[in-house]
Amino acid sequence: MVQKTLILLICFSFVVAFFQGDVVEANKIALPKTVGDWRRLEPPRIIDSSNIFKYMNGAGELYLGYRFKHLEVFDYTDENKNNILVELYFMETPDDAFGLLSLDWGGEVVSFGDASENGSKQPPASPVRALYGAGLLRIWSDNLYARVMALRETPASKQAVITLGRAIVANRKSPPEPELLKALSPHMGSAWKLRRDRVCFFRSYLVLNSNYYLSHENILNLDHATEAVIAPYELVSTAGDRKRCQFLTVKYENHARAKKALDHFRKAYLPEYKEELSADSNNSGPSLFKLEDGWLGYQLMGRYAAIVFECPDRKSAGTIIENNQNGLTRNQ
Amino acid sequence: MKNEKYVLTRRDFIRGTIGTTVGVSVLGLKWPDAIAKERGTSLVTVVRNKNAMDSSKNVDSAIVKKMLDEALVKVTGRKNSKDAWLSLVKPTDMIGLVPTGHLNPTHDEVVDAVKSSLMDAGIPRDRITLAQGGADAPKECTALIALPALKAHWLTGIGTVLKDYIMFSGSPSSYHKSDSAKLGEIWNLPFVKGKTKLVLVDALYPLCDKGPQPDPRYKWAYNGLIAGTDPVAVEAVGLKIIEEKRKTMRGEPWPLSPPPICVEAADKVYGLGTSNLAEIKIEHYGWDKDLLL
Repeated sequence: MVQKTLILLICFSFVVAFFQGDVVEANKIALPKTVGDWRRLEPPRIIDSSNIFKYMNGAGELYLGYRFKHLEVFDYTDENKNNILVELYFMETPDDAFGLLSLDWGGEVVSFGDASENGSKQPPASPVRALYGAGLLRIWSDNLYARVMALRETPASKQAVITLGRAIVANRKSPPEPELLKALSPHMGSAWKLRRDRVCFFRSYLVLNSNYYLSHENILNLDHATEAVIAPYELVSTAGDRKRCQFLTVKYENHARAKKALDHFRKAYLPEYKEELSADSNNSGPSLFKLEDGWLGYQLMGRYAAIVFECPDRKSAGTIIENNQNGLTRNQ
Repeated sequence: MKNEKYVLTRRDFIRGTIGTTVGVSVLGLKWPDAIAKERGTSLVTVVRNKNAMDSSKNVDSAIVKKMLDEALVKVTGRKNSKDAWLSLVKPTDMIGLVPTGHLNPTHDEVVDAVKSSLMDAGIPRDRITLAQGGADAPKECTALIALPALKAHWLTGIGTVLKDYIMFSGSPSSYHKSDSAKLGEIWNLPFVKGKTKLVLVDALYPLCDKGPQPDPRYKWAYNGLIAGTDPVAVEAVGLKIIEEKRKTMRGEPWPLSPPPICVEAADKVYGLGTSNLAEIKIEHYGWDKDLLL
């Protein structure tokens, strides 16, 4: 405990020493005027849904696919014109900010609270809230998603980027991961294992397609009222062969919407199978189909739709759906 | 049931039936195979120099100019860059240069090299203009030089050659969703069609994932220029480089998602060129380490 307090005190002293000059309040985020050799340019650019495409072209759809409120953009520059870009994406909920981080779990884990986690490349047990790689720091902090990027990475720029990250998260809450993730079964006995480092939370079919392409149309009726997770399960044989399937689950506002969406999915994705879902489909077992890329299974579970793709056999498809059923129904 | 719209899905790609289904489902158009059968081989030239950028990613303008000259000569088969340009454009043309404006933009050094090379060929300075922007920009030009930067794109798989003209449509956001496969139609707008004389892709420092937003983890020093007169063939070669880089990076297949169907559609539906690598002659000059082709 004494050691931990000492580390925190050292970190705080470092921040004070590294920051010089005034700070600016950006929705309660205190960004320093200078950090190392970098000086903040004024004023920040404020971007909302009306001008996001002008700022970032089609990348704007990514943020609009979540519940986006607005973006604040700060530029820092040093005397050699090496810039650091700070983008603060204010989202409606912590889940939305988490979703943006979950698009890519690559990079070094950065923890602003526990120095022992810094630099680890292993997925830690506690939620990852910041990742750094090649000059880019990405942060999930409460309802904020932040990108802090040095266009030219050097040891000094990395230090400045991390310092800015620390300033961004200071005094902000650290809510847990979305509830939907807790429903995922981490493994099926000693066989299929969830790839935690590939779990993605989203609400938009465009985001789904960027992770796992399903269709150019919105065949699962995804929108801002839905919550969805896609995650691969992997099976590694003793010979080292790796099999992977994709598990997708969507939480709808109610059972009727879930049923309607799953019917839409079935018609679009399995047009050769004409049968409508029965009203009590959630009480029966999963529907299983042999397709071109393996076995597909789906099941309606109250307000949830669960689908698994690319399973090597019928049994695996059924097992993965059924093993996730407990968690999902507990979350109703 | 016969009137129900066919929805393009993952299964179409796995079956290999993407060709016809793109036409009838996403685009609402027939798939004119005849276009492909009438074409010859397309030539795409890749020129690389390992010193085109230094370790800090500063571009060497003199080397880029040499790379450009070499690319021009190889693409056109002429003896020097002046003759090459004059086989592509006329001194009386109003020549519009169309670089990627921002978010992994085309390097200024590449744009400047093209400008100075054109002037060296006898094109008056006032006949060269930057044509990136809305629909009015290409209307003022009689010739266009596409100068996009090579990058993956999270909405369309790739966001390089075909996407370079998206602002000419006047409504770029209309191509963000299911209509992203239709990017080729912009090249057939009356004030764009037939004007593109050269496609020169800045592949000095490409981006192989998460585009168009820059993400330095997925950028690498390829130090190349990719050139040709067939925009779809040049796009297909850039696509191949990106796909191979992704595979190398992860050590396993890492396909672009969503799949870049706009490339095949540009070929099969809009007749802009060939997307089939087997029909593309790729000539490479210079540095060959990690060529990815």
